Amino acid sequence: MAIIAASGVEKIFRQPKRQAGFGGAIRGLFSQEFTEVRAVDGISFEIQPGEAVGYLGPNGAGKSTMIKMMTGILVPTTGTVEVLGREPHSHRITNAAEIGVVFGQRSQLWWDLPVRDSFDLNRHIYDIPAPRFADNLARLTTMLDMAGYIDRPVRQLSLGQRMRAEIAMALLHDPKILFLDEPTIGLDVVAKDVVRKFLADVNRNSGTTIILTTHDLVDIEEICPRLIMVDDGKLLFDGELNRLRTALGSRRRLKLEFGTDPGPITLKTAQLVTDEGLAKHFLLESEQTSILDVLTELGSVHDLTDIKLEEPDIEEVIRTFYQNKLTSAGARP
Amino acid sequence: MRAAAYPAFALTAFQSRLVYRNQVWASAFGDLVSIFARVAIWTALFAGASQVDGITLPEMVTYSLLAGPLLYWEYSRVLYDVGDAVRTGDVAVFLLKPLHYPSYLLSTHFGHFAFECVAIVLPVGLIVGFTVGLLPPASPFHGLMFFAYWAVSWLILFTLACLCGLLAFWLLTAFSLEWFLMAIMSLFSGAIIPLWFLPAPLATAFGYMPFAWISYYPSAVYLGKLDVAATWAHLGIGLVWLAVLTAAVLALWAKARHRLIVQGG
Amino acid sequence: MPRSLAVVPHLVRMYVRTRMEYRGAMLLAWFAQALSYAATYTAIALLLLRFGNLGGWDWSEMALLLSFHLLAYSIGASLSFTQFRNIEEQVRLGTFDAVLIKPVSPWVYLVFSGLNIGYAGHIILAVGLMAWAVTQVAVDWSVLTALYFLASLISAAMVTAAIMTMIGATALVWVRSKHLFSIFFGFWELARYPLNIFPVPLQILMLTVAPLGFLAFVPVAVTLGKPVPLLGDWALFGSLAAGPLAVTLGALHWRHCIRNYQGAGG
Repeated sequence: MAIIAASGVEKIFRQPKRQAGFGGAIRGLFSQEFTEVRAVDGISFEIQPGEAVGYLGPNGAGKSTMIKMMTGILVPTTGTVEVLGREPHSHRITNAAEIGVVFGQRSQLWWDLPVRDSFDLNRHIYDIPAPRFADNLARLTTMLDMAGYIDRPVRQLSLGQRMRAEIAMALLHDPKILFLDEPTIGLDVVAKDVVRKFLADVNRNSGTTIILTTHDLVDIEEICPRLIMVDDGKLLFDGELNRLRTALGSRRRLKLEFGTDPGPITLKTAQLVTDEGLAKHFLLESEQTSILDVLTELGSVHDLTDIKLEEPDIEEVIRTFYQNKLTSAGARP
Repeated sequence: MRAAAYPAFALTAFQSRLVYRNQVWASAFGDLVSIFARVAIWTALFAGASQVDGITLPEMVTYSLLAGPLLYWEYSRVLYDVGDAVRTGDVAVFLLKPLHYPSYLLSTHFGHFAFECVAIVLPVGLIVGFTVGLLPPASPFHGLMFFAYWAVSWLILFTLACLCGLLAFWLLTAFSLEWFLMAIMSLFSGAIIPLWFLPAPLATAFGYMPFAWISYYPSAVYLGKLDVAATWAHLGIGLVWLAVLTAAVLALWAKARHRLIVQGG
Repeated sequence: MPRSLAVVPHLVRMYVRTRMEYRGAMLLAWFAQALSYAATYTAIALLLLRFGNLGGWDWSEMALLLSFHLLAYSIGASLSFTQFRNIEEQVRLGTFDAVLIKPVSPWVYLVFSGLNIGYAGHIILAVGLMAWAVTQVAVDWSVLTALYFLASLISAAMVTAAIMTMIGATALVWVRSKHLFSIFFGFWELARYPLNIFPVPLQILMLTVAPLGFLAFVPVAVTLGKPVPLLGDWALFGSLAAGPLAVTLGALHWRHCIRNYQGAGG
C-alpha cells in the first residue's frame, strides 16, 4: 500500500501580466491581463512507506508546488494526490498531524525566542504526550548536537544551527512522512554533511518516509536511493540514481593530456569529441568502461601526462535529456 | 553627481507608483469619502448659519480640501524611508554613492507627492468642485501667494518628517515617532480645525508654531483671511521656521553620519 | 477546533514574550498612539466648545461615541489588524505556507500568535474617556442598559475583526489586499461622528456593505436614546446582530479563500 500516490497531477497558476513602459503602466491602472503558468504538468508516482525519495529539478521546475500539494497547502488543478490514504487538502488538519515539513528558506522557529520555546509550542500544537516529547527532544538534541544552543534566541544562531533546529522541530511529533523543501540550501559544506547524514539515519533507522526537494545531486546520493526528476513541470525520470545516466543516455567525459602531441588517436571504448593536440576530449560509450580499460587500450607508447574521467553535470544531463525529448517529439508530428 | 540626476529620481518615484493601481484607486476613494465626511461635519456644525466668526460654509469646504489632502500629504513614507535607512545602516550605501542624500530624498519624495497630486488630489478636487463647489482664491494676490505658502508648507512637513525619521537612529523605532508627529499635526497644523475657531489664547499660541504653516496659513491666505501686510509677514516667519528646521535636519544628519562612519554602521 | 483552542494560551504567551524583547519601543508606542488619539479628540472637543453640538450631540455624548469607537476598534483590531495586514507579506514570502502545515486552525494560529498587545495605549485612553463620559451623559443606567452596552461593544469588536479577516483573506487569492485597508480606514474615520450628519447614500453604505455604522454610532445612539436614521426601532436588534452576522460572513469568506489559496505562485 503506497503511502503517497499522485496521479495525473496538474497545477495551473494565474499570474498578472506587467505591461512595459510608462504608457503600459498608465494602461495598467485601468485594465489587467493574466497569464497562466503550468507549474506541475501531468505528474504521477507512488511512494512506499520507508522510502527516501529525492525530488530533483532546476529552479521553477515545480518542485515546491508538488510538496505544497502533498502537504495540503495547495489543491491540484486536475488529478489527485493521496497521502496516507487521504486527500491532503480536505483533511488538512489530520494530515498535518501525521507529517513533518521543513522549508529550507522559511524558518518556522520564533525569531526572538530561544529554540526550546518553539519546540515547546509544538508540543502543544501537536499534542505530544510529555514523556514522549522529553524522549524525542533528548534524542534529537544529542543526534543533532543542539545542546550548546537550544537555550539561545534563534536570531543569534548560524544558518547551519538553525536548519538543524528546524529539522528537529519537524520530527518531535514522530511524523510518518518528513517533507523537506531545499533543506541544504545556503548551508556550508560541513553543515550540509551533518544534515545529510542525519536524514539518512532517520530514514534507515526510524523508518520515517522522506521526500526532499533539492537541486543538489549530492543530497540525493547520500540520502535518497530513489530519484524523481522534473523539469518545466514534467516528470523526466523516476528510479534509482545510478540508473539515471543510462536512462537519460548521457555519457561520461574523458580527457587525455599528453607531453608531446601523439597525433590522431582513436579508441574503441570512447568517441573523440575535440582534439586540441596536447589535450583530447572523448565521450565514453559504455557505463562499464573504467580508466583501466582506457589505459589498456592506449598502451604505453604515448607520453601521457594526465587522465580525467568526469561525471556529467546534472543540470547538463537534464538539459540534454530535455532537448532530446523535444527534438524527438518534433520529429513525430 | 550632476544636478540633472535629481529630477530623474523624482520621475522614477512618480512612475514607480503607477504599478500599484489598486493602491491608487483605494487611496482616491478613501480621500473622497473623508472629504465628503468633512463637508458633512462642517455643514452640521454650521447648522444653517450663513456664517460663523465671519467664515462661510463654502469657505470651510474649500479649506477642508486644501488643509486636508493637498497640504497634509502622506508624510509617513518620508519618515519610514529615513527611519529605516538610518536604523538598519542601509544609509551607508548612499554615503558610498556620489550623491547628496538629503537632495536625493527631497527629489524622490517630491516625485511621490506629484504623483499623489495628479492621481489622487486632483480627481478628488474635481469631484468636490463639481458636486459641492469650491471657491477660487480671494484675489489674484492671494492666489499667487498661495503657491509660495504651498512650497513653504511642503518643505516644512518634509523637514519635520525627516527630523522624526532621523531620530529613529537613536530611539531605534520610527513607529512611535510617526504617531508623535501625527499627534502634533492633528492639533496644531489646522488640518482638522482652523485656528480661527479656537479660543483666542490657543489660537495665538498655535499661530506662532511652525506647524500652523503646514495647513492653516496656506489655506487662510488662499481664502483671503490675511491682509497683504500679514500675508508677507507670515511668509517671512514661515521661511524663518523652515530655515530653523532645515538646520536641525542637517545637524542631526551630520551627527548620524558621523556615528555611522565612526562605528561602521 | 478543541485542539486549536487549547493552543491559544501558549500562542499568546509566545507572542507576548517576543514583544517583551522590545519593551521600551512598545511602551513608547503605547504612549505615542494614545497621545495621537487624545490630540484628535481635543481638536473635536475644541470644535464643540465653539459650536455647541454636532448633529445634536454635545461633547459628553461625543466623548462616549469616541471612546466606544476606540475601544470596540482596539479590541477587534488587536485580534486582527496587524495579523491580516501582514498576510499579504506572508503570502509573498511563503511564510503563510508554514501556518497551513500545522494541525490547528490557521485563523486561530494567525490571530493568537500575533494577538496585538500594542493596543494597550488605545484601550487605556478609551476606557478612561468612557469612564468619564458614562457619568456625564443623560442615561439612567440600569443592569439592562449596562448589559446592552457591553453586548453591543462585543458585537462592534466582532464587526471589526470580521472585516479585517475578510480583507486579509482576500490576499490569499489576490496576493494584494493592503489597499483595501485604506478604504476601511476611510469609513472608520466617519464612524466616529454621528451618522445622521452624513448624506443618505453614505448612511446606507455605513449600515450595509461598509457596516462601520455599527462600530460605534448605532449602539451609542441606542444607549443615549437618540434616533437612528434608516434603522429606527431596528437599531437595538441590528447593533446586537451585526457582530455575529459579520463573523459568519467573515468565516465563510475565510474558508473560501483558504480553499482557493494560490501561494506565491510557482
